[in-house]
Amino acid sequence: MSITVKGLVKHYGRNRVLDGLDLAVTPGVTGLLGPNGAGKTTLLRCLATTLAPDSGTVDILGLDPRDRLQRTALRRRLGYLPQDPGHYPHFTAFDLVDYVAILKEITDRRERHGEVRRVLAEVGLSDQAKVRARKLSGGMRQRLALAQALLGEPDVLILDEPTVGLDPEQRMRFRALVSKVGESRTVLLSTHQTEDVAALCERVVTVDGGRVVFDGTPGELAVTAAGRVWLSERPPAGPHLFWRTADGRYRTLGDRPEDGVPAEAGVEDGYLLLLGDRGRAAVA
Amino acid sequence: MSTWHIPGDLLDGYLAGELDPVRAMSVDAHLGGCPVCRAAVPYEEEWLESSWQRLEDRAGLPRPRPAERLLRLAGLPGHVARLVTVTPALGRAWLAAVLAVLAFGVLAARHTADALPFFLVAAPVLPLAGIAAANGPRVDPVHELLAATPLSGPRLLLVRSAAVLAVAFVLAGLASPLLPAPPGLSAAWLLPALAATSGCLALSTRLSVPVAALTTGGLWLTGIAVAAEAGGDWRVPFQPGAQLLYGCAAALLTVLVHRRRGRLDPGEPR
Repeated sequence: MSITVKGLVKHYGRNRVLDGLDLAVTPGVTGLLGPNGAGKTTLLRCLATTLAPDSGTVDILGLDPRDRLQRTALRRRLGYLPQDPGHYPHFTAFDLVDYVAILKEITDRRERHGEVRRVLAEVGLSDQAKVRARKLSGGMRQRLALAQALLGEPDVLILDEPTVGLDPEQRMRFRALVSKVGESRTVLLSTHQTEDVAALCERVVTVDGGRVVFDGTPGELAVTAAGRVWLSERPPAGPHLFWRTADGRYRTLGDRPEDGVPAEAGVEDGYLLLLGDRGRAAVA
Repeated sequence: MSTWHIPGDLLDGYLAGELDPVRAMSVDAHLGGCPVCRAAVPYEEEWLESSWQRLEDRAGLPRPRPAERLLRLAGLPGHVARLVTVTPALGRAWLAAVLAVLAFGVLAARHTADALPFFLVAAPVLPLAGIAAANGPRVDPVHELLAATPLSGPRLLLVRSAAVLAVAFVLAGLASPLLPAPPGLSAAWLLPALAATSGCLALSTRLSVPVAALTTGGLWLTGIAVAAEAGGDWRVPFQPGAQLLYGCAAALLTVLVHRRRGRLDPGEPR
């Protein structure tokens, strides 16, 4: 296992955000799904060593982040893209990645600059290297933040909502990049995009209420909705989970509506059914 | 493409470096546009690659800021110079505030002797304000991103604090001789500033950095007021006995910070 988490608990004041969460992540790309407030970001921050849990254990690559020396050793092998990476407005793209490279202990200037160029090329920002961060578009800044996470070819990559702000083409490029990284290393990414999970992840972990409520392949998540997905001409009566599709029909999850015909279940269907009332709120 | 190619004897002379500058430049120009002749020029691939790399390094190099160049000239390694000068607090706003406070202190003291304490009381607070403005999620836009790097935590905090302290000390040190006071008294802010900074860092092992800075500043101002009131003279907190106390406090608190430096890391269990 690359990452093993046991009984992780974290409170913010009286709010128990992580409630004894258990998780095991193997090499490859694993997607973390969950509604807002489910504890995804808190979990990723604990794994990225920027936040200490109240209790429970974390083991990443055989290292324990509670120990100062092991935590530093772990940070040397970790790439992290936070949910809100931020930027120094007066820095150029090159400056920012170069600065993070220094903090990642790549002190030799030539080696560092070569590495900065490599990661900027990986995310397609070579031409923007000398552009100030404040002049980059939101998508470009997101790619810039991803670039710094790739510095030093980390063994574990933790990405918190990495596709936010990316246009479809950039998202495709991102998927290609992450799947390439995931061939030999461990990538754990949180997202609200079930399409990303279906396209990219070998495994999907769904978190709700600070606990893991599903752990399996995207196909297995879709299967949980098999026989409970319907298409109908009219909106279903009663408290159903449904929405109007592009062709004007209604897609209903759960019990069969009056004129419903069975439809193929997808990852999103499984995810929404898993969340129950929260899924209903998400659709509404 | 040219149908003319460099004759063998001319090429040999060029490769041997025996041509006069005009002819060598002429051959250079032809080689630039003729792949056939270029193929006849032997080259060492490794050398060419490393030359390109060096050229790229030079051309693509971000231009260091003046302060960074200055630190490099002073012998600081390039990456450390960059770490120091990128400290968020060392921006124009903080520097302007420091200069304004010091200038006001000096001018007021020169105008009326009663204003001298303002300078001595304010000088130790300046590095605290700088440290508060240099660290933490509210002031550093990339705080979360940097927190996951090996150099984050105590090392980054201490580098940034040292940078802030050094700048504040240099500026206050330059302003001190302008005060209408004997040298001993005009430098009486030095040890309190060191003690306050160490105190702030020591408190940061328990509290967030801005809260620790605010608490330390508050304690300093309250302590000064109480000591001055009790002693019946504003000079009491700056006299030799008190200075000895500040010196001891600074030393003890520095040891404490060193021993508890792990707690300056956001990933450290509390």
